[in-house]
Amino acid sequence: MNAFILKALGFAAILIVATLVVVKQMNIDLSDPINALTILGAVAIATLAFGVAAKYMSQMKTDKAEGELAEDNWDGIGEYKNELPAGWAYSFMGLLIWALWYWQFGYPVNAFSQIGQWNEEVKAYNKKFEEAHKTTDKATLKEMGESIFLVQCAPCHGTTGDGLSGKAQDFGARMTKAQILYTIKNGQHQLNYPMGAMPPGMASGKDAEEIAAWIAGGMKGKQPAAFATCAGCHGADGKGNNGMAPNLANYDLTLVQHVLANGKKGAIGRMPSFKTRMTPVQEKALAEYIQSLSE
Amino acid sequence: MFHWLEKNPFFFAVGVFVTIAFAGLIEILPNFAEASRPVAGLRPYTVLELAGKEVYKKDNCIACHSQLIRPFKAETDRYGQYSLSGEYAYDRPFLWGSKRTGPDLHRVGNYRTTDWHENHMWDPQSVVPGSIMPAYKHQFKNIADLETAYAEAVTDKNVFHVPYGDDIQPGKKAWEAYKPKVLAEAKKIAADMKNQDVKDAVAAGKVPEIVALIAYLNSLGSSRYEAKK
Repeated sequence: MNAFILKALGFAAILIVATLVVVKQMNIDLSDPINALTILGAVAIATLAFGVAAKYMSQMKTDKAEGELAEDNWDGIGEYKNELPAGWAYSFMGLLIWALWYWQFGYPVNAFSQIGQWNEEVKAYNKKFEEAHKTTDKATLKEMGESIFLVQCAPCHGTTGDGLSGKAQDFGARMTKAQILYTIKNGQHQLNYPMGAMPPGMASGKDAEEIAAWIAGGMKGKQPAAFATCAGCHGADGKGNNGMAPNLANYDLTLVQHVLANGKKGAIGRMPSFKTRMTPVQEKALAEYIQSLSE
Repeated sequence: MFHWLEKNPFFFAVGVFVTIAFAGLIEILPNFAEASRPVAGLRPYTVLELAGKEVYKKDNCIACHSQLIRPFKAETDRYGQYSLSGEYAYDRPFLWGSKRTGPDLHRVGNYRTTDWHENHMWDPQSVVPGSIMPAYKHQFKNIADLETAYAEAVTDKNVFHVPYGDDIQPGKKAWEAYKPKVLAEAKKIAADMKNQDVKDAVAAGKVPEIVALIAYLNSLGSSRYEAKK
């Protein structure tokens, strides 16, 4: 160590003391590890900067060109054979290990996934939606139901729910006479009600005609005697025994839910299942709106 | 060797190219192979559906309709589950499209039916008021080219190893033996339709384009790999 290096270290010491004075005057809390680390970093930078600079400056003053020349020679400019500095070698090996870690675990792009982002967005939205509509009143539900209807249902059932002149179910009434006769004749097993499948041919001839006319007419007037067969499952009032069987009188929530979940192929045509396309609140809203169409 | 390379810029450039290309291959190819594998349980298109796909291409549905649902909530709300690359494994070529004048059709089989398509292709405005889609009435008259579709299936099977059954074999004889299966499938579609000309044509062993197209549209969606459940 020569005088030049000592002078440099002395200069570094002055800088460090100056830093400490400033810290003292600014009342910086050194018990906070972040502040302590920052101070430590400042000291290290000062020491290294002056120490290293002084080392090389003194080397430039004292060093002579000597050593074994390498074979390569570029237009008279040669190169000494130098040992690889140990510090470089260790840093290089350390970097290799770091690179392995970085490729396998640390690479920031690994943490992002488009599908993950979609999942989060949908989950957050659904939660917010359920939260916001926990206690929604009927009018809001009906309004929501109408917009759902226009997007999801209107392509087949028409914007007014009239079924586009026979292309799909007309929501202006529950069932037509032809539909009821078709169901009585063919049975119904697609909606998965707790009551199970309705076998074909529960009534026939004049009985079936009477039942169909009475239900299609809005269940007004005297109930035909033959309806007793139906009442076993659908209830004496035809309202489906609290969701055990389809409601014959109006489009209640249970009916809407069962049709959406299972789809249906009946007298008119096939309706596909809309199972995963609506949330429970939306189904409720849709039922509310569809009910309002026949009122 | 490196000294030699340093003195030969051309071969040095070749060496650099080979090195980078090799790195690119081992980075890209495995991911690509993984993503292009068919999703579990995916079945290939039937011959009738392939014929419908040809109609889809011929009448240029791709100009206005895409077949790719991106994982954004706005799209999944409207069109259903986002598309997976493995769902296109048997699409040659895929029909992603790049323009949505009309809606996306990648899951149209999940929420539209044969009779709806029939009404819609005959007169779009009768089911979608204000629709700007033109009517495609000629599809009810034109007869679909089932033989080309069958040849396509044979090529898919022999060249691209699409898992068709042993009944798909090259040659006119094999096609004659296979034809009843296609007609049976067409009859099922025609049974759900109302147009009497179409029904008559199918009964007479001729398949109008609309039937093939509807078979293809019905196959779009999850039904091609969920049917086994």
